[in-house]
Amino acid sequence: MNLRAQNPPHIRSRESNQTVMGDTVIAMLPLYAMAFYFYGPRSLALGAVSCLTCISADFVCQLIGRKVPNVRDYSPLITGMIIPLLLPASTRYWIVVAAGLFAICVAKQPFGGIGHNVFNPAAAGVAFAVICWPRSTFQFPVPFDPLPVTGEITARLVASPGRALAMGGVPTTDFMDMLLGNVPGPMGGTNILVLLTCLLFLAVRKTVNLCTTGAFLGGVAITAAIFPRAVMAPFPSILYEVMSGWVMITAVFLINDPVSSPKRRSARLLYGFLAGVVGIVFRHLGKFEDSLLFALLVMNASVYMIELWAEQAAHAFRRKNRELTTSANLSAPDGEDLGDTEG
Amino acid sequence: MPGFGVQGILLEQNKEPALSREIKKLKGCDECEQRLEKPVSSEPGLLAPYEIVMIAREARIIDESDGRRLWRKLAQAARESISGVVIDAMDDEPYLSSQLGPALWMQDQLSEAIGLVKRAVGANKVQIEIYKNLLDVDIKIPASIGGNRVERIGGTYPAELRARWHSSRKNTLVIGAGAMIHLWRAAYLGLVQTTCFVTVAGDCVANPGNYEVPIGMSVMRVAEQVGLIADPKRMVAGGSMTGFGLTDPERVMITPTTRGVLAFAQEFKDMGYTCIGCGRCADVCPEGLSPFFIYKAMKSKRRERLELFDADLCTGCGTCSYVCPAKLDLAQIVGACGRLVRKQNETVPERTKFSAKSE
Repeated sequence: MNLRAQNPPHIRSRESNQTVMGDTVIAMLPLYAMAFYFYGPRSLALGAVSCLTCISADFVCQLIGRKVPNVRDYSPLITGMIIPLLLPASTRYWIVVAAGLFAICVAKQPFGGIGHNVFNPAAAGVAFAVICWPRSTFQFPVPFDPLPVTGEITARLVASPGRALAMGGVPTTDFMDMLLGNVPGPMGGTNILVLLTCLLFLAVRKTVNLCTTGAFLGGVAITAAIFPRAVMAPFPSILYEVMSGWVMITAVFLINDPVSSPKRRSARLLYGFLAGVVGIVFRHLGKFEDSLLFALLVMNASVYMIELWAEQAAHAFRRKNRELTTSANLSAPDGEDLGDTEG
Repeated sequence: MPGFGVQGILLEQNKEPALSREIKKLKGCDECEQRLEKPVSSEPGLLAPYEIVMIAREARIIDESDGRRLWRKLAQAARESISGVVIDAMDDEPYLSSQLGPALWMQDQLSEAIGLVKRAVGANKVQIEIYKNLLDVDIKIPASIGGNRVERIGGTYPAELRARWHSSRKNTLVIGAGAMIHLWRAAYLGLVQTTCFVTVAGDCVANPGNYEVPIGMSVMRVAEQVGLIADPKRMVAGGSMTGFGLTDPERVMITPTTRGVLAFAQEFKDMGYTCIGCGRCADVCPEGLSPFFIYKAMKSKRRERLELFDADLCTGCGTCSYVCPAKLDLAQIVGACGRLVRKQNETVPERTKFSAKSE
């Protein structure tokens, strides 16, 4: 018999990195199905190009860093899948490729690869694309207007409801259409109902923690209610802010990225709430139609500080708790030798 | 969907059919039987407190819940005034039921032993603590055993640790259910403790269940007597969460505190995962630590941070390792850091203790 010594515990949960990341991949498939339904095969081609870029860039970077690439690591696949969902379906392929390369080669691997990146790679890649090509990243095709898979885009490109908000006006879009995703906007960011279903799936699988999402949406809603961007009542302001642009897809996927978000529940609540508040503030002040991703990147940079605060608070709490609970039980007096068998 | 909305490990004691079967004796239990020198009292119910303590001493009963000798615990409790007695039948770890089994199958003996302990320490309030998971409907747990209330402790692993913080546990004497059965045998039958109750389980075991095993038998012989259906790849003496992994089970003996023998067919493979920072370890830690940070501080050799992270509070329950999706050996690392901090704080004079500096 050949036994292997192993440290306790001798049972392990069935969840692994592979299942955690696989859940996220599965949750993104319905968004691609909706994008295919609205914009045709070009959306799938964009996804494939982006995934290939990210996976190959990740592979090459790991080889350069003399690491052994792990086939069970789906993180470049996730990055590759999110990037086109944040962009219009009419985006040119090389913009997606540039965003993917920036995400992996600048925002992820130089920091040490999976588990060490400070910034969410997908958000950083898309932010890079927005800064470089602001025109083409905020010009959206109309749903059900078929797009050619290759060649020039000749379809009509329009602004999303977010543009009206950014200009200080009230959008005229129907709420029902916004809920169903039948509005121009980012490829995966408009299908609010589908995104909520994805969130439900991820929450049931315990892959995402609802603390962060809830706090983020709360922060967005409170700030939007107090400071509406146009002259309107708080409630429509909340609905327009939450349902336009990148808010929902951020709430479901980007803000729950395990690597770049805090670990402790209190820190997550603070992080989510601040991300929501800063997001709306950036929307007020930013020149772009939607500056939410920049707010997310700023919050990613402040995660270290938030976690330190949370850890100090937890430290004080633990010490207090320890004082209250010690000597509650009869414990072995000092000097009693437990191994002694003679009475 | 079991465990939805639950952070942590549910104790699925019914996973193995151990509780539905009577406790059997393994071969060798009767051969090693040993009698007390003193004759058995004709009316054990009327023994004086010091006599009960002496019986526990001569029967060499060891409490399986903490490894202390029962007579010392009884004598200490009689000296200090205590408010009550808690009979621990919780079986803290998944797979184990070596305290709950005897408590359910030997209720008469248990209730008479409770009478003895009440007299010995002069306490009136006795409660029997049993882990009850709302999803376990197969296990029938009585509301009281011999007139003593059965307290159901809910929640997840480590239930024993959580119960310790409960207000009703203040200033109480905690005795394991197995030690109570042995106390009854010593007082009523005049037997020295030469056996203990062990759960034998795991996917390699043919007849999983609770067995009475002679102390000093090798772990391998126990597993063979119960029956192995496959060649085990991993064997464990103790519970599934904190037990020892064995490489030579022929030479490891059953001790009075061994509560389980587990044999598993699959071994863990190294998948090459790295920490993705999901934070599940911090969510489940019963002491409120963040194993994630302690792991990172240890890896980057920043020891001055360990004090802030309170690594010395780690109880070694292993929940963080259990939930870790990257399959890191967190419990081991946090435990090592805890020992490091404790050692540092003992040997280093007050002035140079490392302090929790915030940067």
